Amino acid sequence: MDYAKNMMDKLSIEQAKIELLNTAYANDRTAIARLDPRTLFLWYAFFGIAPWFIHNTIILAGLLAFTVTTTIMTKVSRLILLILILGLLGQGGYLLIASLFFGGDLAVLQPLLLLTVKLAVISLASITVFCSMSPEKLSIGLLSIGVPGQVSFSISYGYRMLPVLLEEYNHVFMCYRLRGKAPEKKGLLYWRMAAYFVKLSVISFYPLLLSTAKRARTTVEALETKGSKNAFTNPAVKKLKLSSLRMGGQDYFFLAISFTFITALFLLGHYY
Amino acid sequence: MQTVKERYTLTQSQKMMVFILSMSLYGLSNMITELVPSVYVGPVEFSIEYFAFIPLTLCILFHPLYAAIGASLGEVIFGELMLGQFGGFGELEKFISFSLAMYIAGIMVTDPKNRQQVGMAALSGVIIHQLISMMVDIGKVWIGVDDFETLPGLAESVVVVEGFAFFNDVLFSGILFALIPTLYFVPRLYGKIEPLLGMKPRTRENTHSTRGILRPKLVIAAVLLAFAAFGFEFLSETDLNIFEWEAPFAEQLETNLIWISIGVAAVLSLSILFAIISRNKKAKDRIAHE
Amino acid sequence: MNNVIDVQNVTFTYPGETRPSLRNMSFSVQKGEFLAVIGGNGSGKSTLCKLFNGLIPHYYTGDFEGSVIVNGLQAADSSVADLSSHVGYVYQDFENQLVQARVLEDAAFAPLHFGFPDYEERARQALSLVELDQCEDEFIWQLSGGQKHLLALAGCLSLQPDILVLDEPIAQLDPHHARKMYKILETLNKQHGKTIIVIEHHTEFIADYCSSVLLVDEGKAVWKKPVKEALTAVDELTKRGIYPPQVTQAARELGLGGMLPVTLEEADEYFKALFLEKRAPLENKPNEIEGEPAARFENAEFFYKTINRTVTPVLKDITVTFYKGEKVALVGNNGAGKSTLLRLLTGFRKPAGGSVSVLGQTTAGLTPEQLADKVTYIYQNPEQMFIEDSVRKDVEFFLKARRIKDFESRVDRILEQFHLTDLQHKDSRLMSGGQQRRASLAIGAAMNPAIILLDEPTANLDIATRKQLTGFIDQLKEHTELVMIATHDMQLVSEWATRVIVMHEGGIIYDGSKEELFSNMFLMKKAGLVPPQIVELSHRLGLFPAAYSIDSFINLYREAESWITQKI
Repeated sequence: MDYAKNMMDKLSIEQAKIELLNTAYANDRTAIARLDPRTLFLWYAFFGIAPWFIHNTIILAGLLAFTVTTTIMTKVSRLILLILILGLLGQGGYLLIASLFFGGDLAVLQPLLLLTVKLAVISLASITVFCSMSPEKLSIGLLSIGVPGQVSFSISYGYRMLPVLLEEYNHVFMCYRLRGKAPEKKGLLYWRMAAYFVKLSVISFYPLLLSTAKRARTTVEALETKGSKNAFTNPAVKKLKLSSLRMGGQDYFFLAISFTFITALFLLGHYY
Repeated sequence: MQTVKERYTLTQSQKMMVFILSMSLYGLSNMITELVPSVYVGPVEFSIEYFAFIPLTLCILFHPLYAAIGASLGEVIFGELMLGQFGGFGELEKFISFSLAMYIAGIMVTDPKNRQQVGMAALSGVIIHQLISMMVDIGKVWIGVDDFETLPGLAESVVVVEGFAFFNDVLFSGILFALIPTLYFVPRLYGKIEPLLGMKPRTRENTHSTRGILRPKLVIAAVLLAFAAFGFEFLSETDLNIFEWEAPFAEQLETNLIWISIGVAAVLSLSILFAIISRNKKAKDRIAHE
Repeated sequence: MNNVIDVQNVTFTYPGETRPSLRNMSFSVQKGEFLAVIGGNGSGKSTLCKLFNGLIPHYYTGDFEGSVIVNGLQAADSSVADLSSHVGYVYQDFENQLVQARVLEDAAFAPLHFGFPDYEERARQALSLVELDQCEDEFIWQLSGGQKHLLALAGCLSLQPDILVLDEPIAQLDPHHARKMYKILETLNKQHGKTIIVIEHHTEFIADYCSSVLLVDEGKAVWKKPVKEALTAVDELTKRGIYPPQVTQAARELGLGGMLPVTLEEADEYFKALFLEKRAPLENKPNEIEGEPAARFENAEFFYKTINRTVTPVLKDITVTFYKGEKVALVGNNGAGKSTLLRLLTGFRKPAGGSVSVLGQTTAGLTPEQLADKVTYIYQNPEQMFIEDSVRKDVEFFLKARRIKDFESRVDRILEQFHLTDLQHKDSRLMSGGQQRRASLAIGAAMNPAIILLDEPTANLDIATRKQLTGFIDQLKEHTELVMIATHDMQLVSEWATRVIVMHEGGIIYDGSKEELFSNMFLMKKAGLVPPQIVELSHRLGLFPAAYSIDSFINLYREAESWITQKI
């Protein structure tokens, strides 16, 4: 718990903002990041769903190789990959242990491994697509495939409000800490301390709920004056927003390569 | 007299306020819970899964639909997108199940001052959400693993692993982060937060006028039926593909069938949501015209 | 007829309230006017401004009577969106008016959602009008408070409205940015022909920039007059808790007759003849309070990382000692390092180099919790101090957590002292600005610390409330040994401090008495300080040491007068 406490002390808002910016915009200079969001969605529509229904080892291995390549191309942070790998191994591992316990044998290993590969392809595909889109691009992209305007508004609004909210939460949390008193006995495995911090993190939302309610009122009032009332459903506004989208040569090239690869892979999988 | 009656329902902008409020706060809480490490004692996970009390409180105090959808969107934006963990289609499933669960919890409460009702709603919200998540997770392995049925021990282990996670989450998150905080927050905020948004607090009377038509029990029954339908669809379709395993182009066929079943399930749950929305609207129109 | 706004017999009651907020209000505004709306708290100023873009009666569905015509449109029959292209409205809590992540995106939000194809061009134009064109691609969180306010203005300007309404445009700004805001408004008014309406209680700014004044009281328009006439109606204003410019007050106090001055230039002319004698310079008195040290900085340094991962120094080699019994004011422009200095004392931040000690213990080895028993920090925004649902619970939180005996009687006493006894069961968030400040002071006092730190305690308050608050700040000394205030409010400094520390670019450039500081115009300029108007007047008149309050100015004047009469 000392670790957590230290983290709390060091977690400065400035630091958090920097990390967020880096997460959101770190990878928007790669070749994949330059593609049109619609290209990426189309690509993802295949790689995000199809693996569920493919049971052919060769095809799956090919798909995995392909998505690993694209993931490398997006220069995604190692931390995200590490989290992904741990998650995949964890789930597979639990299932393996449990099924051995229920009288299974090592025969389950192969299908479980296959399942893990499928999950990996899908996850890598979503990392490829979504980590290389800046929030702005994702907003427009979502709008172009018919997601309601409120969603893309909310994404940008989220980036606007997050630092404000984090700062306020931090203030309130500090207020509770400084004016309250931490338990004197730490308890077994620091459980008293943990419980104290968890309690603070929950009740800190009380002041925040009230102050955010005040904010929300002004914001919605201001949105009204900014003409947003009918704009989310106005096709002319949508057209304006989408006017920056353009499918270029690189988009067709990317799709063509992917298509050729998949076709070749299926043929290969079918005959061998 | 029209103005007086209108005040009992929420205007479009008030709904937007509830939406923004729910999105920002639940989003923030999600970012915090994502960053707090979890503690494992053996297979039992002591982690802060989510601060469900935020959407629960807001669903109970305000318009449940907008609070529920706002919270789900907040989770996607703050908890996934901003942390670089946006999962594409996986988010859609979470979005629908969480909104649905929170919404149902919201409409279960007719009187926010009734602690028993609030407590029941809070627990049900979490249970419904975890139930759907469990079913989806089991479903994923089911679809994902070839000849799932024939492998000894796998089916049991999937059910046990997921079932264990279900009870873990319901007992831990459900009680510590939904039931207790919601019981603490709702009475404290009731009557205090509504004027800040320029609304009147929900009372039994105005609940009756806007929600009575919905009949919570009916909605719950409908939703349970929908889940059952969802589950049966999956079962029957997967059975089917075992029968036709030897058929040529099995893969192709299987794909189609499962697509159809997913489609049916999605249409079902969406149409229920829409039915609820339009009923709400109709109810409001009726009140406005009276 | 050149009226752009015509308000006729408007009465409005908010839903759920019995008393109308506006009663039979009538007035008009002409094209090209720069109108200041003044009035005490709760007089209906803000409500009035919500009439112009139709938020009342469309958004606030209360009981509305009368007619409002804006640019020829009947407000009751036009939608908020339609009226918004005629009237731009900047809120007092403008932060919440910014709804997008980046600067250009936010400025373009309104024209985009109105469906103008040239929305980006409009946004760029608006940004250049408020001189923000350099920060197009920045995130809003990277902007300073002043820049955010300008961005909120740009968001309105992008719709190219003829009328701009601003609710207390400088309440949250430091003096430098306040001046900049008004300069920009002046340009918009004079060069771009915009009609501007501000709610303002800084009468010195009204005198410098506005052309006419509307006085509002209890929901009624009392009068509308040209600025000079309005600000010299001293009695009518002070009766309602509005203070005319210091020079006007001084001239009025002296009862010299003639047309009272309202601006510095006028006052210069007015008083020039009266102060011919120059006085001998005062000896520089070194700061002589040398009691027990309460806090000490030794070569303290602090850095922080910026977005592009470079390191910016915030405090450079600070060595200073604060003694028990002092009342220290920490001044300097934004970014000079005031807040960081205070934060080092609370232990929220630890110095990167050197050491900071509180009551003889270095902060490096103490957690913020341990320091909290000795040092209390009172936030600029009092709402951030409120964690409970009533004033009383907030005040007793600290004592209760420590299970202090008889805390109830102590809480009673503190509530009494800060005039909160009647309000004790109210939710602090629902109180007025002045009451909230008092509550935050009471919370600090109840913690019974050795040191109390206040961050901008008078920001956002109108002058009358601010005067009252100074008295309450003074009462803090009963509960503590050292009070330090970081502030831009030189009037507060002049009335309260015994020692002034001037910070500039992370270092201390002055440490001494307020009299000496106010006599040093060069130093004040360098540190970006804007002294009270009466100090500036003293400098113009060549008075030394400069008078720092109206009273001391009057005393100086009376002395000068007696000298002159003696000579005759």
